[in-house]
Amino acid sequence: MNNRISGALRSPIAFSVLAGVIIGALFLVGTGADPIAAYEAVLTGSLGADGIGSTLTTVTSVLGMALALAIPLRAGLINLGGDGQMVLGGITAAVTGLYSPLPAPLTVVLALLAGMAAGAAYAALAALCENRLGVPLLVSSLLLSYPAVSLASYLARYPLKEPGSSLPQTRSMPDGVALPAFGDSTVTVGLLLVVLAAAAYWFTDRRTTFGYEIRMTGLNARFSAYAGVERRGLTLKLMSVSGALAGLVGAIGVLSFPYRFVDGSLTAPGYTWTGLTAALLATAAPLGTVIASFFFAVLQVGGLAMERTTEVPRELTQVLQAIVIVFLAARLSFPRFTRRKVKEAV
Amino acid sequence: MTRRQAEPAVELRGITKRFPGTLANDAVDLTVRHGEIHALMGENGAGKSTLMSVLYGMERADAGTIRIDGRAIKSGFGSPSDAMAAGLGMVHQSFKLFDSLTVAENVVYAAEPRRFGLVDRAAARRRVRELAEEHGLAVDPDARVGDLPVGLRQRVEILKLLHRGARTLILDEPTAVLTPAEADALFAVLKSLAAQGRTVILVTHKLREVLEGSDNVTVLRDGRVVARLVTAETSADEIAAAMTGRAVELDRVHAPGTPADVVLAVNGLTTDAVHDLALTVRAGEIVGIAGVAGNGQSELVEALAGLRPTTAGRVTLNSEDITHASATERRVKGLAYVPEDRHAVGTAPAASVADNLAMGHHRTSLSSRGLLPPAAVRAHAQRLVERFGIKASSPEVPASALSGGNLQKLLIGRELAHDAPLLLVEQPTRGVDIGAIQNIHDQLIAYRDSGHAVLLVSAELSEIRGLADRVLVMYEGRVTATYTKDEADERTLGLAMAGGAGIAVEAVD
Repeated sequence: MNNRISGALRSPIAFSVLAGVIIGALFLVGTGADPIAAYEAVLTGSLGADGIGSTLTTVTSVLGMALALAIPLRAGLINLGGDGQMVLGGITAAVTGLYSPLPAPLTVVLALLAGMAAGAAYAALAALCENRLGVPLLVSSLLLSYPAVSLASYLARYPLKEPGSSLPQTRSMPDGVALPAFGDSTVTVGLLLVVLAAAAYWFTDRRTTFGYEIRMTGLNARFSAYAGVERRGLTLKLMSVSGALAGLVGAIGVLSFPYRFVDGSLTAPGYTWTGLTAALLATAAPLGTVIASFFFAVLQVGGLAMERTTEVPRELTQVLQAIVIVFLAARLSFPRFTRRKVKEAV
Repeated sequence: MTRRQAEPAVELRGITKRFPGTLANDAVDLTVRHGEIHALMGENGAGKSTLMSVLYGMERADAGTIRIDGRAIKSGFGSPSDAMAAGLGMVHQSFKLFDSLTVAENVVYAAEPRRFGLVDRAAARRRVRELAEEHGLAVDPDARVGDLPVGLRQRVEILKLLHRGARTLILDEPTAVLTPAEADALFAVLKSLAAQGRTVILVTHKLREVLEGSDNVTVLRDGRVVARLVTAETSADEIAAAMTGRAVELDRVHAPGTPADVVLAVNGLTTDAVHDLALTVRAGEIVGIAGVAGNGQSELVEALAGLRPTTAGRVTLNSEDITHASATERRVKGLAYVPEDRHAVGTAPAASVADNLAMGHHRTSLSSRGLLPPAAVRAHAQRLVERFGIKASSPEVPASALSGGNLQKLLIGRELAHDAPLLLVEQPTRGVDIGAIQNIHDQLIAYRDSGHAVLLVSAELSEIRGLADRVLVMYEGRVTATYTKDEADERTLGLAMAGGAGIAVEAVD
C-alpha cells in the first residue's frame, strides 16, 4: 500500500499536475493575485454546493468525449472527428425527439439510440476511408467532421428552425422528452450512462480478449498483426464505438437543458478537445481517463468561479491545463534519460 | 604501398564497456594504421558493434582512451557529429538515407553547399559527380534513393562520408545485404580508398571477404581481443579458431531427426521477391533455409505465416489448403512463428512480460467466452518463465527490461508452447549471447524430436549445419540447391549462397 502511494506520487501524471499547480501559482503571484485565494475559489466554485451540479454536467460531456477518443487511442488510432460525430448525434436525437410518434419515455430511449447510431455510422465512414481508400484516419475523421457540423447547422437554421425565434435553434422537445434529472439540478441520467460506459471500457480493457488485443495493438501494431489481429476490422469496430459515444454525448446534450438543438452549443465549449486532452493525459487508460476528465471539468467550472470572485481571468486555468500537458509531453523523453542514468550507474 | 604516417589513424586503448549483465568490451585495444583496411571480426555478441559505437560517440566507454591521428579524445566522442568532425565516418548496417530525396540531396545533407544562404543544388550535383568519378563510385546524382538497388544505396552512404571529409571509414557488416557482384565492387572501391591514404575499418564475421579484402585482422571474442593477425600470413582456419574459441562447441552438429509425414507442403509459391518456390517439411524434421540476406527468405516466411499475400502457388498444412488463409486461421490450424525482428514484430517491448507471453494464447487456452482473466495470464506467464528459464524479475516488468537473449527465450518459449505441428523460425539466435544460443538450439531440437516440423531460416551457416536435417539454399527468390545434412559443409553452402549452384556460376570464380 505504502509502495502504491509513493508510486502514485512519483507517477508522471501526479508530477505534471503538481508542476502545473506550482507554475500556475507563480503566474498568479506575478499578476499580483493571491494564489491560495484563487485556487480556493477554483475548488469551492467547482466542488462547493453551488458549483458541483455544474461540474457534474460538464463531466458528463467531457468524460463522454474523453471515452470516445480514448477507446480508439488505446489501439493507437486517433479520432479527430469527435465534433462532427457528436453534433450528428445531437441533431439526430433532436429530429427523433421532435417527430417520434412513440410515447415520451420510449422516444427518449429511441433518441439516444438514434444519436449513437448516427455518430457510429459517421465514425465508421472515416474508418472505411482509411481501410478502403488509404486515407489516414487522422485526416479522414477530421475532414469529415466539418460537413457534419455544417449540415447540423443548416438544419437548425432552416428546415428545423423554431418558427418565430431569432436564434438558430430547433423547437423545444415535446413535454416529457427529456432525460430525468437528479433533484432540481441540471445533472441528468446522462451522467450515469457515461459512467456506465466508462465502467464497461474498464472491464473490456482489463478482462477481455478484445481489450487485450486493443492494448497490444496500441503498444505495437506490428506485433498484434503478427499474432493475427486483423487491423481493419479493429479500426472499424473501435471507430464505431467511438462515434457511438460521441453521438451519445450529443444526444444527451439535446435531451437535457435546453432541451433542443442549438447551433454551436455542443461544439462551443470544446468538449471534444478537452476530452482528447484528458484521453492523451491518461494515455487512454480507463481509470486515468475518468480522473483526468473530472480534473478538467473542475478546472473549467472552477475557472469561471475564480473569475467571478477574485477577478483573476479564467484563462489562467487554461494556462494551468497547458502547463500540465507540456509536462506530460516532456515525460516522453524522461524514460530515456533515466535509463541512460541507470546504465552509467552500473 | 601506403603512405605511412607516424601516428595510427585510430588507436583504442583499454576500452571497457559494461551493460547490465554483460561485459561487452573488456580492456580492448585496437590500432589501425593510416591507409589500411582493418577487419574487426567476431561472432554475434563478441563486442564489435559496442566497440564501434564507443569509437563513433554513440556510447560512452566506462574506461579506456581513444586517439585519432595521435590526438587523445578526452573521455571519447560525445556524439557521432563530434566523431565526424574528427574525420570518422560510419556506414551502418541499416542505411540512414532519405528514400524520397535524390542522391545529391542525400549526399550533401547537413553539409550543404550554400549560395546566398540557400542550398546550391547545382553545386551539390557537381560535387557528387566529382566525388563519384574520383573514387569510382558511379551513381546518378539525380536518381531518387528509394529507386536504387541496395548496392548503390551503399555507395550513396560512402559518398556522404567522403563529402564530409571522412578520412577513416567504418563499415558495419557491409556485405550482409549485397549480392556477390556488388560485394566485389565494394571491395574494389575500398581498396582504392585505402590506396589514397584513407583508412577503412571493416566490421564483419565473414571469413572470405576478410581474407580477400583486408590488410590486418583484429578478432574479438566475449568482449576481449583474442587475436591480432596480418591477413597475408594467416588462414581461414586460424581466424575461425580465434573467433569461435570455446564456441567451437556451438558448431556441434546435432543428430538427425526421424522424419515422418509431410506437415508443410509448398508448391509454386510466388510472392514479392519469391518465385515459383517448392519445399516440404515433415514432422520430426528441421529444414534449414540458407542464403545471403535479401534473397527472399523473409518474404517466404511472411507469406507462409499469412502476413504477405501469395500471388500464385499452393500451400498446405497437414493436407489442408491454407494458401489464402489469414494469419489467425493459420495459427488455429497449427502454425507458430518466431519472426526475425523480435523488437518490432515479435514482442511489444512496452507491454509486460506476462502480456507478451499471452499473445496468441489469449484467444485459445487462456480465454473463455471472450473473457481473459488476469489470473490466467499471470499463471501462464509463470509457467513459461520457469519452463524456458526466462530471467525476468517478475512477469509484470516490461519486456524491454529483458536482455536480448531472454527476450528471444520469451519469444521462442511462447511459440513452442503452442505445440503447433509447424514452427517457422527466423534467425533464432541473432544477437543472442552464447549461453542462450545453446539453450535455444536444444529447445528446437527437442521440439523436433517430439514430432513437430520446423522450418528454420538463418544467416549463420554454423546454425544451419548444426540443426537442419535438410538444407535448402535460396538465391534470388528461388531454391537453387538442396543438401542432406552430410552434404551441407560450409564450402558447398557458401558457394551455393553466392549463386554458384544455380544460374550465376560465373559470379563465383
